[in-house]
Amino acid sequence: MADAATTVAATEMTLEMVKASQMGMKALGAGIAVGLTGIATGIAEMAIGSAAVGATAENKDVFGLVLLLTVIPETIVIFGLVVGLLLLF
Amino acid sequence: MTRVLIAATRSQMEPVVRELYRQHLFHIEEFVEKDSKEYEGYRIGTPLPSANETSRELIRLRGITSSFGIREDEEFTGSRKMSAAHLKDVIERELPLLEGETEELLAKRADLDAQVKEYEQKIEALRSFQDVPFDLSLLGGFKMFSIYCGYITKPLSLDVPHEIFSSETKKGKFIVLVVHQKDRASAEQALLEAQFQAVAIPDESGVARDRIGFYEGQILAKKGEMEVVNRKLEEIKTRYRDLFLACHELLSADVEMAEAPLRFATTGQSFIVEGWVPTMQLEKLREGIHYATGGKVLVYVCEPGETPDIPPTEYRNPGFSKPTELLMDVYSRPQYTELDPTLIVSIVFPLFFGIILGDVGYGAVLLVLSLGLRRFLKGEGMQKLITILRNASIASIVFGILFSEGFGFSLPWEPILFSRHLNIGTHASGHGPDVIGLMIMAIWIGILHITFGRVLGMINHARQDHGLHRVKAVLANLGWIMLLWGILMTIWSMFSIPMMPNLTGMPPIAMGLNLAGIGGLVMIVLGVLFIAMDSPLEVVELPTILSHVLSYTRLVGIGLSSVAIAMVVNFIAIGLIIEPQLEDLTAVGIVLIVIGGIVLVLGHLLNTALGVLGGALQSLRLQYVEFFTKFYKGGGRKYNPFGMKKRFVEE
Repeated sequence: MADAATTVAATEMTLEMVKASQMGMKALGAGIAVGLTGIATGIAEMAIGSAAVGATAENKDVFGLVLLLTVIPETIVIFGLVVGLLLLF
Repeated sequence: MTRVLIAATRSQMEPVVRELYRQHLFHIEEFVEKDSKEYEGYRIGTPLPSANETSRELIRLRGITSSFGIREDEEFTGSRKMSAAHLKDVIERELPLLEGETEELLAKRADLDAQVKEYEQKIEALRSFQDVPFDLSLLGGFKMFSIYCGYITKPLSLDVPHEIFSSETKKGKFIVLVVHQKDRASAEQALLEAQFQAVAIPDESGVARDRIGFYEGQILAKKGEMEVVNRKLEEIKTRYRDLFLACHELLSADVEMAEAPLRFATTGQSFIVEGWVPTMQLEKLREGIHYATGGKVLVYVCEPGETPDIPPTEYRNPGFSKPTELLMDVYSRPQYTELDPTLIVSIVFPLFFGIILGDVGYGAVLLVLSLGLRRFLKGEGMQKLITILRNASIASIVFGILFSEGFGFSLPWEPILFSRHLNIGTHASGHGPDVIGLMIMAIWIGILHITFGRVLGMINHARQDHGLHRVKAVLANLGWIMLLWGILMTIWSMFSIPMMPNLTGMPPIAMGLNLAGIGGLVMIVLGVLFIAMDSPLEVVELPTILSHVLSYTRLVGIGLSSVAIAMVVNFIAIGLIIEPQLEDLTAVGIVLIVIGGIVLVLGHLLNTALGVLGGALQSLRLQYVEFFTKFYKGGGRKYNPFGMKKRFVEE
């Protein structure tokens, strides 16, 4: 451990700095994972949502069913969220 | 369900219909005219003779109740039901009088309304002339002069002899211009340049202002008369509301009965009606009809398999899971021969909801909400929904205790299950959430839930299918289970994962795989073979085994995001707004503390709404998409017995 600290110090980087930088990278990764999957879910739900509203306008009984169909692509963002969580903790 | 066929002569039609209606047991299978030989000579029946008159009566009654704004699903204000005999008497004698009176009052009200409208239009026409100081009758009937009334927006310059009255109004300058007949052309040219807009001269005599006053007086008088009519109508409504409701129910029942033969098969002298009865109630139906007709009717009970039709489905569940039938109907009602998963869903749904929204505070809010709303929301569906919410909120409280969470704060004990506390805010301490533990718990839940679904699939196919197809379908479901557990065994033999069996310790046998690994591989191969034997196309679906199991991680993901929002709200409201003010209390500080309180309440309200929506939808989705696709088909018909439960009328 002490050896590692001295070599890092020699290249003008402390161990704390490296750790903080790694933490930052992880946070970035988690953010990208959640953000991109969120956009993907949004695109997928866009078409389903508009079709769902149309179907509900024609027949109110299908509301429950189409609400569920609309949340099906949410799996994508949930995978992103899981990856994000695993990265951070 | 038992298929029953009732046949009799036409003279017995009415007593049979009445008895079936009263019993409220018989699901009529509608007769459709067909060309095939078996149905030769049968025609769809005609309504009972009373149908015409009864439906006319019903339509008149509906007209009145709708004009009073009485809805059919309203509750009775009186406590006692009314007897049918009394109501029949009322319908015959009192109702026509009441209807006549109401119609008269309604017509009078419409008439008064029309008069008020007419006066209002006249006032509107007079408005432009309100500043004109002379009699309006002077503005017409000349041969030598032309008169122009209207608005101009630009100054008027006229070089012919004329007389003009003008006044400033909001719409522009209002003018009354009189010119000699021979100067008309030049006057009109000048008016055109001044952008003249003509106004029709009202056919009135007298000064406009006085006429407006007169009409306003008339409107007041008519409105007074309308008030009287309205009061009378209101009186009728409060006095006869219950009677209207009861009559409506009785007449609707009569119409439904009178129109029942439209669903029967009839010949010149006889009729046949087919339908379904719950097997337990068969004797009751048979005896009832026998008694009502003096034994002049044939009630034939079909053997199972005698008819190709699939029986309608009625749920049979313990009281605890009755409300969950609503969630089943949203997806699809089970078929008659199929396993009904309502009981399983009624247990698993609240559990999943609790795992996602495991928070004592939110659970308590939802519990209070569901108990409070029970009084205000009417209707069967709403009541069921509220009961589901209540069960889910209780599960939420239980898991809140296990996770040691209340409104995002940690409760005074260590989490019993897994820690979901995040390190947010200045007071953050401890070791953060046990994400790995939570994830593996979720994956275990997924594995067990999916395996259970596949086992149910095996049972379903064993019960429903026949011959070779049955063997193949059961084996395919077994194949899916073997594939899932084979993959797990292989993984366990290679990696050591916390909270899962560790099989890495076994000595390797071949290709670096140990006994468990080879066993897993064999299971995978066998599983794929079984699946491919049933349907080779299913092999394309193999990757879903991974995505479906991983899909259960949403139990953790959504739950943690809900905790994160709660903790962030707490941090912003308490850590950033309220606490700094408490150190040095000032007048501004007190305002800020109040604002902090509002932020806290609003934030938690928002998170409660998100939590309910997320928790309920995601938990339901796991049932519908991940669980039901393994065994459930649905598409059953609703058992809809002929007749209705009378709320207001006593037989």
